[in-house]
Amino acid sequence: MNNNSEIIARMTGLIYPLIIMFGFYVILNGHSSPGGGFQGGAILASVFISRYLVSPDKNLKIKSLRVAEKVLFFCIVMVPTLFLFSSEQSRIEIVHLTYLILMNLLIGLKVASGLTIIFFRFVFYEGGK
Amino acid sequence: MTEKIFLILMVVLAFIALNTQKLRRSVIYLGIFSLVSSFVYLLYGAPDVAIAEAVIGSAISTVLYLVALKKYRVFTIYYTNANYNQIRDGYIIRGRAQILREVESFFVRKEMEPQIIYTTEDYKKVLAEENFDLLIHQDYDQVRLYGNAEDYQLDALEAHMCENPNELLKTEFIKFEAGDKN
Repeated sequence: MNNNSEIIARMTGLIYPLIIMFGFYVILNGHSSPGGGFQGGAILASVFISRYLVSPDKNLKIKSLRVAEKVLFFCIVMVPTLFLFSSEQSRIEIVHLTYLILMNLLIGLKVASGLTIIFFRFVFYEGGK
Repeated sequence: MTEKIFLILMVVLAFIALNTQKLRRSVIYLGIFSLVSSFVYLLYGAPDVAIAEAVIGSAISTVLYLVALKKYRVFTIYYTNANYNQIRDGYIIRGRAQILREVESFFVRKEMEPQIIYTTEDYKKVLAEENFDLLIHQDYDQVRLYGNAEDYQLDALEAHMCENPNELLKTEFIKFEAGDKN
């Protein structure tokens, strides 16, 4: 894959920030509008996947992504538990809003790292090449 | 009314994707199919599902299929001969070795591009250092084929060789695990 198209490389580099912004927009507004953690995370993962089309090199740290995914999964399990036990007196709306946004963000980042790991694992290590 | 047009378009696209000759085109048609189906979800009032379908169906899975096709399309074949000193250049240009011709025609029938590299290196050195899919080592009429055990194309090649055996050459398959090289 060394004969990359110049047009695709330039245009993908140009729309990177827009895709990232859109992904975070979908994640952060997931509680009140269509979208949410999973969809936004998939959009963020598509950034890394289109990055492969531009520069197919191995300098992405899959190991640290894997650690990040595990930590995020632990957070996804722990945050609702803590919220459940500590919400006796805090029935204010702002707390619930913060909780929803935090959970969406965690799920989005976890989905993004998970899909990225799946893709790069498939590209670089599967199939005997 | 609008969604009926798009539903019919989905059926047409699925039919085209099934009936195209080249796999790569059918992957692209599948991406368009996903995009249209996400639009239909939007018309039915499910924007959440539409976003997920648009991102996963037409971006991630399309790129994944294209990468998978790219991985298995070009097939690198190394050819070494134990007694290469007796072979002149004209031999390679005029008549290819019989085993190579068979292998090449097999891969062409499978819609892949065999890339053949003739080398005068020792086959052990090629085994250890080069990145190949198939290594053919010939010693007069004794032919040994080295390949990866997980490569399903090689299984098909072996089955093909067993069905149509060559009476002049003795072929032998040697497979190793994926972790052995590199």
